[in-house]
Amino acid sequence: MNIVVLVKYIPNPEGTPEMGPDHRLKREGVEGALDPGDEHSVEAALQLAGSDGEVTLVTMGPEAAVGALRRGLSMGGHKGVHVLDDSLKGADVLVTARVLAAVVKRQAGFDLVLAGVESTDGYTGTLPMAVAELLDLPNVTFARKVEVADGTLKVERQTEAGYDEVECPLPAVVTVTAGANEPRYPTLKGIMQAKQKPMDTLSVSDLGLSAEDVKATQEVMGLEPVAAKEAGEVIEDPEEAPGRVVEFLTKAKVI
Amino acid sequence: MDFAIPQDYQDLLASFRSFLEREVRPVEEFYAVQIQDDVFTEEMREAGLALRRKSAELGFYAAHMPESVGGQGLSNLGSALLVEEGAKSGLRFGAFVLGPPNPEAPNPILMDLPEHLHPKYVEPLVRAETTMCFALTEPEAGSDAQSIRTTAVLRDDEWILNGRKHLITNGARADVAVVFAVTDRDKRASGGITAFLVERGAPGFVVGKHQKTLAGDTNQAELIFEDCRVPRENMIGELGYGFASGMRFLNGGRAFIGAMCVGIADHLVRICTQYAKDRHTFGKPIGKYQAVQWMLADSALEVHAARLMTYHLAWLVDQGDYPIKESSMVKLNNTEMVNRVADRAVQIYGGMGLLTEGPVERIFRWVRMLRIVEGTSEIQRVIIARSLGL
Ligand SMILES: Cc1cc2nc3c(=O)[nH]c(=O)nc-3n(C[C@H](O)[C@H](O)[C@H](O)COP(=O)(O)OP(=O)(O)OC[C@H]3O[C@@H](n4cnc5c(N)ncnc54)[C@H](O)[C@@H]3O)c2cc1C
Repeated sequence: MNIVVLVKYIPNPEGTPEMGPDHRLKREGVEGALDPGDEHSVEAALQLAGSDGEVTLVTMGPEAAVGALRRGLSMGGHKGVHVLDDSLKGADVLVTARVLAAVVKRQAGFDLVLAGVESTDGYTGTLPMAVAELLDLPNVTFARKVEVADGTLKVERQTEAGYDEVECPLPAVVTVTAGANEPRYPTLKGIMQAKQKPMDTLSVSDLGLSAEDVKATQEVMGLEPVAAKEAGEVIEDPEEAPGRVVEFLTKAKVI
Repeated sequence: MDFAIPQDYQDLLASFRSFLEREVRPVEEFYAVQIQDDVFTEEMREAGLALRRKSAELGFYAAHMPESVGGQGLSNLGSALLVEEGAKSGLRFGAFVLGPPNPEAPNPILMDLPEHLHPKYVEPLVRAETTMCFALTEPEAGSDAQSIRTTAVLRDDEWILNGRKHLITNGARADVAVVFAVTDRDKRASGGITAFLVERGAPGFVVGKHQKTLAGDTNQAELIFEDCRVPRENMIGELGYGFASGMRFLNGGRAFIGAMCVGIADHLVRICTQYAKDRHTFGKPIGKYQAVQWMLADSALEVHAARLMTYHLAWLVDQGDYPIKESSMVKLNNTEMVNRVADRAVQIYGGMGLLTEGPVERIFRWVRMLRIVEGTSEIQRVIIARSLGL
C-alpha cells in the first residue's frame, strides 16, 4: 500500500497561540510541532502500509514546517514533500486544498490519502473533504479504525452514538480520529535514519499552479476572543444536589 | 563556535516531551495526593517501573550506555539534554524514567566487567528489568573515600568481602551492587582499591538499616558484608584500579547532575514567574515589585550561566577530554545554584512556599542533598584549587 499523509506544522500546540497584526496565527519565529492530531494519521498509515508499502508525508507551510515532515519521517515515514512558497502566506482552506491535491496527484500509484480530523490550530475540519473533492475521490471522515481487505477500504466511522461500518473503493481520502491508535514515539535511531530519507521541496509553479490558483478567497477582517462561558454552579452537598439539579432542569423546561 | 542544539537532539527532546506528557503525566496525576504527601508507595514504584521499562524500550532510559549492551550510545551532551528535559517537566516520575544521574540506572563503569558477563548483568539493567547501586561511602570514609575499610581477599576462586557501606541509594532493592573494597592496604588509591559486582543474594551480603534523610523518600541503606563470597570473575576492571575508574565515572557523569540542577531550577523559575503574575498584594501582582523581580532576574541569570557551563562540559567529554576542573566547577556551581533558586522560590511563594502541599517545599528539601552527594561542595573546591596548582 502506498499512502499519502497530509500533515501540518502548528505553532506551540501546548501553549497559547499568538496572533499576528494580520489577524492570523503567528507561524514564524515561534516554537512548533507536528500537529498532535496528525500523529494519529501517520501512525495509521505506518500500520496500514506494512513492510512493503510506502508512506509519503506532505505538508505546506513556512520553512519551519519541515519539522512536521521530520517528525513523521522519524516515526517511520518513507519520504517527505514540503510545499514552500511565499505566495502561500495567508492561504485559506481552498488554496491549501488545491496545493495539497496537486501534490497528491504527482504521487504515482497512491492507494490512500490520510489526514487528521481537524488541525489543532485552525479547527476548520474542512480541508480533507476539499482535497477529496478536487481529486474526485471518495471521502470517509472520523475513522476510528481503518482496514484494507481485497482492495476495499473498511472503516469504523465514529459517531456520537457509536460507530458506522463504512466500505469504500480505493483510492480514497480518510480522516483519522485520535481514538484510532497510540502514535509511536520517534527513537534516536528513527531520528538518525530520517536524515537519510528523501525530502522534496516544491514551489507553486513546480506544481503547475498559477498565481490565480493560490490567491486566497477569504480575507480575515478582524479578530475577537470568544465570550467566556459563565462559570457553572457546583453543588457539593450530596444531600442537596439531586433536588437542585431537578429544580434547574424543570426551570429550563428540559424535564 | 556554534551554540545551536543539534537538530537530532531537538527532535529527540521533542519525542521525550511527548512521552512525558502522554505516558508519565497521567501516572503523576493519578498519584498526586501521595506525591503531595511525599510518599512513594510500592504501588507507585511498580507504576514507575512500568514507565521506566517503556522508556527503556524507546531508548530514553539508559540512552547513555553503549549499543553493544542495548543502549543508544547517546553522547554526553545528548544525555545531559534528556536529563535537563526530564527535570524541567517538574514531574516526580520524570527522573525515574531516565538513566543518569539516578544511581539505580546502569553505570558505564559496568562496561569494565568481563565481556561475557554483559548479557547477564548489564543488559537487564539497560532494559530496566533490574536496578543497581553504587556502594563507595562508609561510615568512616565519605569525602576521604580512599580511606574505606571494606576489604576483599581472593580465596580459591572467590573474593571474600568484609565491611560496611552506608548512605547507599537504592541499596536495599538493588539487584546488583558495585562495591569498592581495599585489595592492597599499602597502595590504597594508587592501585589498592578494586570494584566488584555483588549480586543481591550473594552469601554474606546483608542489607542493614534503612536510612531516612531530609530529601524524603530517596531510599538510602546500609550494606553489610560478612565473609561475602563473590565469584572471581565479578571484578570490575583491573585489580587495584577500581578507585580510579570510580572517579572517572563520577567525573564523566557530572554533566548529568549539572543538567538535572538546570532543569529543576528552570522549572522553579517558570512556576515562580507565573505565581508572581497571579498573586496580588496591595492591589498589584507581586511580580510588579522590584524585590520579587530581582529575585527572579537573578535566578534566570544563574540558570542560564549554569546551562552554558553544563553544555560546555558535556561537549568537552564528547571531544574525548577528561575535564577534571570543569567537572568540579559544574558540580559545585549548579548544585549551589539550584539551592539558591529554590530558596528564592520559597520566598516568592511566601507561606505557600512552606506548605507541604505547595509546589516548592519538597523541591527545596530535596535539592539540599545535591551539595553533599558525589563529592561535597568543599571537595569540589579542593579539586578546583588543585587544578590551579595549589
Ligand atoms: C541522599 C544521599 C545519597 C547518597 N548516595 C550515595 C550512594 O549511592 N553511594 C555512595 O557511595 N554514597 C552515597 N552517599 C554518600 C555521600 O557521597 C557522602 O555523604 C559524601 O561524599 C560526604 O561524605 P561524608 O558524609 O562522610 O561527609 P564527610 O566526608 O565527613 O564531610 C563532612 C564535612 O567536612 C567537609 N570536608 C571533608 N573533607 C574536607 C576537605 N578536605 N576540605 C574541606 N572540607 C572537607 C565536607 O565537605 C563536609 O562539609 C549519599 C549521601 C546522601 C546524603
